Amino acid sequence: MNSELLEKLSECVEFGKINLASPYPPQMKGQPGADEITKEALESGVTPTEILNDALITAMNKVGQKFTENKIFVPQMLLSAKAMGASMVHLKPFFANGSVQRKGVFILGTVFGDLHDIGKNLFGMMVEGAGWEVIDLGIDVKTEKFLEAVQQHPTAVVGISALLTTTMVNMKPVIDAIKAASPSTKVIVGGAPLSADFAATIGADGYGKNPQEGIVWLDKISA
Amino acid sequence: MTHKERFFATIANQPVDRPASWLGLPVPSAVTELLRYFQVNSVDELKIKLDDDIYPIEVPYNFPPSNHIACAFKFAKMAHDDKPDERTLTAPGFFEDIDDPVLVDSFPWPDPALYLDVEESRRLVKAANKDYIRMGVMWSAHFQDACAAFGMEKALMVMLMNPEMFQAVIDRITDFYLKANEIFYEATKGYLDAVLIGNDFGSQCGLMVDPDSLRTYVFPGTKKLIDQAKSYGLKVIHHSCGSIYPIIQDLIDLGVDSIHPIQALAQDMDAPTLKTGFTGKASFCGGVDAQHLLVNGTPEQVTAKVKELKQLFPTGLIISPSHEAILPDIPPANIEAMFNAIN
Ligand code: B12
Repeated sequence: MNSELLEKLSECVEFGKINLASPYPPQMKGQPGADEITKEALESGVTPTEILNDALITAMNKVGQKFTENKIFVPQMLLSAKAMGASMVHLKPFFANGSVQRKGVFILGTVFGDLHDIGKNLFGMMVEGAGWEVIDLGIDVKTEKFLEAVQQHPTAVVGISALLTTTMVNMKPVIDAIKAASPSTKVIVGGAPLSADFAATIGADGYGKNPQEGIVWLDKISA
Repeated sequence: MTHKERFFATIANQPVDRPASWLGLPVPSAVTELLRYFQVNSVDELKIKLDDDIYPIEVPYNFPPSNHIACAFKFAKMAHDDKPDERTLTAPGFFEDIDDPVLVDSFPWPDPALYLDVEESRRLVKAANKDYIRMGVMWSAHFQDACAAFGMEKALMVMLMNPEMFQAVIDRITDFYLKANEIFYEATKGYLDAVLIGNDFGSQCGLMVDPDSLRTYVFPGTKKLIDQAKSYGLKVIHHSCGSIYPIIQDLIDLGVDSIHPIQALAQDMDAPTLKTGFTGKASFCGGVDAQHLLVNGTPEQVTAKVKELKQLFPTGLIISPSHEAILPDIPPANIEAMFNAIN
């Protein structure tokens, strides 16, 4: 029974079925969605940790894989993230009282000078779906703002996004400042013009060409 | 060949003396250095010096503070700089919480006739040297504006969950551009050769939206915009950044004459792949990588790349940077190398 519910929930997230009222995807019209199934699961004794690990994280992992392979695209991915969010709402109290542990805190922002945020937002959703608490600092984020966030969350991992050749060079001073203030803080970078080589030359610890690569790296360092 | 003959032959995949070229649109912060390096007083003089073929004409649109037609709709629910580059697309938009298509009229849709400067359009196009390809920079980005109308994330979800609503909004936006373009085409009749329209559909690694959704919700508007331009005898250059390989055939079928900007480093957008897929079926504009080569490469490397492009595409490719916005991190020496190699 429980595993059936987890499977159903996982399917809702994978295919973006948010709740009963949602008409998408057409083949699941009229069926309960992530919202209702999560409620039902909790009521029937499934633990929040099982919901997070065995339904949400597994589903979002599949979503990330399909996105990387260009089998699904941004709209489908957003609906999956939305379905995940509808489930996550019911887990919030358990996160707050500490009965469910997330993998860690992830601070994310687009580097100063750069206004592109579509990719950053998607990556943030995927990181949340991988079991992290995400603090999104937005776009055009100055060094000081990253530093402040690191100060508030000393164990956090930092992610920086840049989409322009003219702004990817702004990542190095941010990383230098973070490392100077908090040498143990790990930083991962990503965005269209970057490469693993570039990431290494600016002192980043990780690079993700797509959300999936980023998450594999996060899992590795948090293991 | 004259600039015009060369342009028309390039897009028709016919033999040329050399491929046609387009410098692109240097951003203001890049212009000073370009003028200094080439010892000219204006971008127009620079284009003459480079023997460029295309002369872009921006649509004069008196709607302050941006005075730019790409900023005609004030959808964003937050304050942001009113400039084309700072369109938010992602900020919550006017239609964020509206799900009834009937309410599409609740937005104060602008009337382009009030802002599009007919006299100035005529003046600009007449002032352009008639030997060049005079290209109206229309953009008419109905898809990107539809994203901004809701906030991009919301818009893309509405597209799948409430398609009637998405359609109602994108249709209104398309209607706005059809009207604006008609005014501009009428004002410039007989003086304009081509137009640049487009939307960004691609990211670095693939399309942002699945081809089927684009075909259902976006391309019908694109088709109207293309047909309209063609009814005025204009050649249509269609812009979309990023990796768009799976929809190139669609763009060809929609009647596009040349596909821009061929972002060389994006997935499947390198010249050899495009040559294999579309030799003789399409023409392209762009292809000189602006994400690495033009920024970090040496003039010798730029020269080598342009020669390679010319070999792959002896015609059928208007050689141009892979983004029209020349940013200040591109050394003018690389622009010089690009044009020397073209010529
Ligand atoms: C949409 C877009 C815009 C929109 C942005 C809207 C918004 N709210 O974000 C608008 C129209 C506003 C815009 C503006 C500009 N843009 Co723009 N834009 C794009 C475009 C087409 C798509 C970017 C995108 O959203 N992709 C979709 C997402 C899902 O993908 P993504 O961002 O790459 O993110 C993925 C990965 O990179 C990764 N990722 C991203 N961040 C991170 C972070 C971490 C830590 C990790 C692990 C992973 C990761 O995961 C994401 C999901 O897969 C790109 C084309 C391209 N090749 O990317 C050009 C592009 C980035 N833009 C470009 C340019 C030039 C500009 C402008 C300067 C234009 C101008 N002057 O005319 C302005 C600059 C504004 C500014 N100051 O930032 C150029 C940059 C060229 C260069 N030299 O680097 C590009 C590459 C287009 C081109 N043809 O060359 N742009």
